[in-house]
Amino acid sequence: MENSRRDFLRRTCALVAGVSVSPFAVNGTTDAETEQAIKYAIVHDETKCIGCNACVEACRETNHVPEGVTRLSIERKGSYGEYPNQYYHFTRHSCEHCEDAPCVNVCPTGAAYIDKKTGIVSVHADKCVGCQYCLLACPYEIRFINPVTKAADKCDFCKETNLKQGKQPACVEACPTNALVFGNLKDPDSLIVATLKANSTQRNKQDLGTRPKLFRITAKPGEITL
Amino acid sequence: MSAFHFDSLVWHWPIAIYLFLAGVSAGAMFFAVLLKHACLKDQAYRSGFVQAACIVAPIAVLAGLGILVLDLTKPFEFWKILVFYNPTSVMSLGVVVLMIYQVFMYAWIAITFRKPIEDWCRPRFAFITKLSEKLATYEASVTGLLIIFSVALGAYTGFLLSAQPRFPMLNNPVLPLLFLASGLSSGAASALLGGVLLKGNPTGKEVQFIHKVEIPLILGEIFLVFTFFAGLILSGGQSKMAAFTAIGEGFWGWVFWFGIMGLGLSAPLAMNLFMTATSKRKFSYVAGTACLSLLGVILLRNFILYTGQMTVS
Repeated sequence: MENSRRDFLRRTCALVAGVSVSPFAVNGTTDAETEQAIKYAIVHDETKCIGCNACVEACRETNHVPEGVTRLSIERKGSYGEYPNQYYHFTRHSCEHCEDAPCVNVCPTGAAYIDKKTGIVSVHADKCVGCQYCLLACPYEIRFINPVTKAADKCDFCKETNLKQGKQPACVEACPTNALVFGNLKDPDSLIVATLKANSTQRNKQDLGTRPKLFRITAKPGEITL
Repeated sequence: MSAFHFDSLVWHWPIAIYLFLAGVSAGAMFFAVLLKHACLKDQAYRSGFVQAACIVAPIAVLAGLGILVLDLTKPFEFWKILVFYNPTSVMSLGVVVLMIYQVFMYAWIAITFRKPIEDWCRPRFAFITKLSEKLATYEASVTGLLIIFSVALGAYTGFLLSAQPRFPMLNNPVLPLLFLASGLSSGAASALLGGVLLKGNPTGKEVQFIHKVEIPLILGEIFLVFTFFAGLILSGGQSKMAAFTAIGEGFWGWVFWFGIMGLGLSAPLAMNLFMTATSKRKFSYVAGTACLSLLGVILLRNFILYTGQMTVS
């Protein structure tokens, strides 16, 4: 009896010690990640956007996104003002590549993941079972089920297409007014770092702690919302 | 806004049914253990109520999992959930809880019905009696772990929804407690309903025992519902908005006030108090009260799932 009690205590202590140490092991790897050389982000300059949707079409073509769903959309609000000074307000809707991504946190199989080399939030389509937990979790409502693969799908900064060929993402290349700036936040000489230093920008729903990497240079709103 | 179709809606009613069934299973096992240890002891296997709980629990959890699998966009790849795990995902942890829970559920049922199982097996498959003998030596551990995992399963149904920073109403720490309490009471109701259908005595000590536990349980549920919405309203902003959208005017407001608070909680509470006070317990009273409780819990799951997805932060 005495022995078995001692055994029990010993085993329990070992278990508790193991469980309480394991989070530190996880933290250890995240510390290493913060030293990564590439962290991609995008800036949408709403003051330059003319709402032509060239980015949406380029994305569809490059990434073979089926009709009826999209990785990227431009929301148009307006028109505001009197002729001839009328204008619209355009907002980009696409993955914001959160540093702390709710979709990645909730995915039961690890199909949603943050690429360690680039910080891109991405999807392993064959690991995805289609529970739609990530669609529910995403505060920016940009995930959808791809009708062809039946997996959750979203913008991945053209990781599998244009980036692999050393090009800029399709939307950035297609933009006729250079309203989109894509680049590496870790490179101090990059255009995106210069743009972010020179402009005041906004990020959506920062209070949720998601730390998104889609920055917006906001245009005049045209209306007052309280 | 339509009650069943709106832009921010992702998860539909099958998820609510799954959450309900998982709660029923957890609650039924919880009460089966309580009945056995608090009032029936070795005779538990003779009780219609324990039998009912032990039939309902496996069927409910398997049916719930079946619905969950069919609701995937790739139902034939559900096994990937069992192969790949993500420690930060509540759903993934839930899969672990569900699997371990089922192991202890079957083990406990086998131990509790050891006598009839052994009587049936002895002339046919003698080796099974040896297995059940071995298993019975672990009864205390199996029972303890079953209780822990049934409570974990009941709470998990709430955590699954509360792990959603996008929805202020779901992202609420009271939700797992509320779902645990209502899951336990749905388990009690299913044991009572199944028990009287299996010719269990409606005036038996099992019914008296369950009613005694159910009264504080329902009062606790009402308090949790109050805390849930009071917390949302006092948080202000979108949380307050979500609360008023849910329990204000409209289809879901009716479901909440009439269906959940009225039929699902107040009516069973009144019936339980009445039956305890007068000791008048008839088949129709017991079965009717149990049906109302179950209806209330189904409505609560649907109500929380749909109204929770209506307001985004």
